[in-house]
Amino acid sequence: MMKILIIIPAFNEQENIERVVDKLIDCYPQYSYVVVNDGSRDDTARICQKRGYHLINLPVNLGLAGAFQAGMRYAYELGFDAAVQLDGDGQHNPEYIAAMAEAMTAQDADIVIGSRFKEKRKPKNLRMLGSNLIEAAIRLTTGTKISDPTSGMRLFSRRMLRLFANNVNYGPEPDTVSYLIRCGARVTEVQTQMNERIAGESYLNFSRSVIYMAHMFFSIVFIQFVRKKEETPCLPHSALS
Amino acid sequence: MSPTFRIILILVSVLTAFWVARKIRKAQIKIEDTLFWLLFSLLLIFLSLFPSIAVFCSNLIGIASTVNFIFLTIIFVLMVKVFLLSIKVSQLESKLQAFAQAYAIRESVKTDSADSKPERV
Repeated sequence: MMKILIIIPAFNEQENIERVVDKLIDCYPQYSYVVVNDGSRDDTARICQKRGYHLINLPVNLGLAGAFQAGMRYAYELGFDAAVQLDGDGQHNPEYIAAMAEAMTAQDADIVIGSRFKEKRKPKNLRMLGSNLIEAAIRLTTGTKISDPTSGMRLFSRRMLRLFANNVNYGPEPDTVSYLIRCGARVTEVQTQMNERIAGESYLNFSRSVIYMAHMFFSIVFIQFVRKKEETPCLPHSALS
Repeated sequence: MSPTFRIILILVSVLTAFWVARKIRKAQIKIEDTLFWLLFSLLLIFLSLFPSIAVFCSNLIGIASTVNFIFLTIIFVLMVKVFLLSIKVSQLESKLQAFAQAYAIRESVKTDSADSKPERV
């Protein structure tokens, strides 16, 4: 049985965090979880402490990459086999983690992406245009088709935990995925459904989305190939376990 | 703009771009932070490959020498960058301060509760 850690990065999620974590505790006791409070200015940390949740309480705001890395480091140091990101706003459904873990074992994958569009068609709107652009960039540079590169719901294997825990430039973003594919990591996708955010507001407004997409595209097409390839992912799995 | 100056601009920009790439390769810099330098060297290469753009702009704002326009552009862009870096340093300082305080407070709460109420530990 794979030991999976659910990493819940939370920044100002006082309205959502209880609902998200209580659902995990009640319905999915087979997984461990940890909330990473990224220096929230609201009551996120206090709620977690009051309810006795597993909490990494960052005293300052590090941004998603820093918060996620804290979770990955925790997972690596505590000896978990895999870790999955589950957003603190409740848009990711934990029911798909089982299928993702199954795909990881069955296909010997390093990264399993919970994709909204593996079997379903992408709706045609501006945000999906950005998603298509990133998909095209990844396909162009790696030859791999990732139907939902911006999905935050990704399951990472133990080998990936080690890399994410200890290195710079390993944000939980599509450019890191494209880099890891180039390093020889196996990436696969599982069809999932995501919810709309119920309360609070999203970090990505329109202008931030455009900047984000442009940044990712630029990073994937021009920057990732200069990076030195990490040697570990190219090794066969048996050499590492 | 003299051919020599154009060649120097191109060389310097290309070298800058390679230097930045090397730093990315060795994982010594965050990718977000390299974006500016890569775009900046691209701009310089662009201006030296197509000097007519610089000539046009300098005529437009009434600068006699094209080279001066290029210098002015570079100085202005770098000034903005320095200011942005200044902001970043300030933010880092206040983050470090908040971090040190939070850490110290946590330590003190831990030792206090261990010292004064040993029966409750």
